[in-house]
Amino acid sequence: MSLLQIKNLSVEFGSEKNPFRAVEGLDLTVDQGEIVGIVGESGSGKSVTMMAMMGLLEGQGRIVADKLEFDGKDLLTISARARRKIVGKDISMIFQDPMTALNPSFTVGYQIMEVLKLHQGLHGAALKQRALELMEMVEIPAAASRLAAYPHQLSGGMSQRVAIAMAIACNPKLLIADEPTTALDVTIQAQIMELLVSLQQSQNMALILITHDLAVVAEVAQRLAVMYAGQVAEMGKVPDIFRHPAHPYTEALLKSIPEHSKGAHRLSTLPGIVPGQYDRPSGCLLSPRCPYVQQRCRDERPELTPYPQGAVRCHFPLYDKESR
Amino acid sequence: MTTVLEARELTRYYDVSQGFFKPAATVKALNGVSFSLDAGKTLAVVGESGCGKSTLARQLTLIEPPTAGSLLLDGIDAAKADRSTLKAMRTKVQMVFQNPYASLNPRQKIGDQLAEPLLINTSLSAAEREAKVRAMMARVGLRPEHYFRYPHMFSGGQRQRIAIERAMMLNPKLVIADEPTSALDVSIQAQVLNLFMDLQDEFKTAYVFVSHNLAVVEHVADDVLVMYLGRAVESGSKEQIYSRPLHPYTQALLSATPSIRPEDRHIKIKIEGELPSPLNPPSGCAFHKRCPYAIERCHTEIPLLRPVEGHLVACHRAEEINV
Repeated sequence: MSLLQIKNLSVEFGSEKNPFRAVEGLDLTVDQGEIVGIVGESGSGKSVTMMAMMGLLEGQGRIVADKLEFDGKDLLTISARARRKIVGKDISMIFQDPMTALNPSFTVGYQIMEVLKLHQGLHGAALKQRALELMEMVEIPAAASRLAAYPHQLSGGMSQRVAIAMAIACNPKLLIADEPTTALDVTIQAQIMELLVSLQQSQNMALILITHDLAVVAEVAQRLAVMYAGQVAEMGKVPDIFRHPAHPYTEALLKSIPEHSKGAHRLSTLPGIVPGQYDRPSGCLLSPRCPYVQQRCRDERPELTPYPQGAVRCHFPLYDKESR
Repeated sequence: MTTVLEARELTRYYDVSQGFFKPAATVKALNGVSFSLDAGKTLAVVGESGCGKSTLARQLTLIEPPTAGSLLLDGIDAAKADRSTLKAMRTKVQMVFQNPYASLNPRQKIGDQLAEPLLINTSLSAAEREAKVRAMMARVGLRPEHYFRYPHMFSGGQRQRIAIERAMMLNPKLVIADEPTSALDVSIQAQVLNLFMDLQDEFKTAYVFVSHNLAVVEHVADDVLVMYLGRAVESGSKEQIYSRPLHPYTQALLSATPSIRPEDRHIKIKIEGELPSPLNPPSGCAFHKRCPYAIERCHTEIPLLRPVEGHLVACHRAEEINV
């Protein structure tokens, strides 16, 4: 059984009359010990999906789903009290900007220990011992003296390590990393990704990696969901998608990476931007930007359709050469 | 080919207060960097945060004078120029910043912001200014109705186009772009990079492109300058740097860059730790604490930039480790 099952999840903001659907009909499953990448441009609904699942949208968004299950527990009907027992313990999250994820007024030691006190009831010497152990697990040099440091005394990479230590403090079953390395230098990015993957393997966690950097996903993830304007455009195994993308959007994303057009003077681009609240087309959401657009795409919104290597939301997927 | 920019041993130190009763410390943000740049060419400056990339960019815009060294723009030495010459020189250098959300005035209409360089530096009439702005707007892919809009009505990619257009308004000889695409999505990044390349073809502008994204640099650069803690550690043509990096730091940077193609994946050369504090730089080669090849000599003697295999490298062991 999958660790996380999301079926037909929609998240709406704004008034009942004129809602904006940030996420629409999203399906996602994550198995234990698996690394799943979610990629997409800004505004494609990557972060909102995860926040809906964590219950961080209370009072803001309306969440509708056929199924939202984590480890056999239904997250839709769960009480706030019971949710607090899960979030931060079995599911935890690291954010993009480590500088703002930590509280500037408390030492990092205090912040790590807070998690342990709350969820594991540790205290005294055992608490301090475990905090030290965690700092060492995330390879912070001179860990014992760093427990008393405030976040402003640490570099971006070190702060992100502290955030990771807090996230893995209770041996979570699922770790969500929302753009964990976007704010960091490449050398530090490589160190942090290596750390995340080694922790993921040693703890047998599932890891959801949200990013817009396709190269990072290509190196670490096993499966990949490509999101576009609140929907999953394509889903499948990483090698398959990178070798033979089935959705025109995935193809365009891959082509727009400079590495893809080595030696060429111009990069290939996808014209336009992700449609916002007021300019969503009635047909396929990609239709105004798609290079292969046909009349049917403008009239009818495609469904996510499975095929042997994965699933794709397109009337004329790229593997189906005869249809175009 | 005409040389637009020449930097000779450009150096910039900053004094930093350490507290009331302690003497001020000196940060050597930029330590003797030299290069030259021809019209229509792109020099990419790469390195980690804190390596002096942005200090170099500030120096090139003539915002502040260097502590030592000289900067020649279009053959004129900035240190010897008088006020009016300096003002004229500044119009030849323009800058595009990293964050287009912060570099545009939120209270001013786009048309007015774009016309401002012309208002200050030329004697064109209002109608002429508007015509010029509108022509340039069409050139960078903005629609005519955008003229009366405010920055918040644009997406990140569009704002960066506006920032680029503003930089190009005075037809500068040199544009300095400080991480111009790092806040943008890949598909938008591709559009913006294409715009940079097209404008360069058309106006023969020289670019100094500051970035830590080596994949982007490989696409845009002609020459590459790799910096570490205020010093240039390696410089050469893009082909030389990417096909045969000689400095261990360049090798580590390249191997840390993730790749979408498995066959391009570099063997990871792991470098430990982070950039040391510029307040208290290590003795000898600044990189020796993280370098896998460091020997005794690296701890004591600062390596000088010297030619090896046709490009410049600052490493004592460049030949030994690259057999």
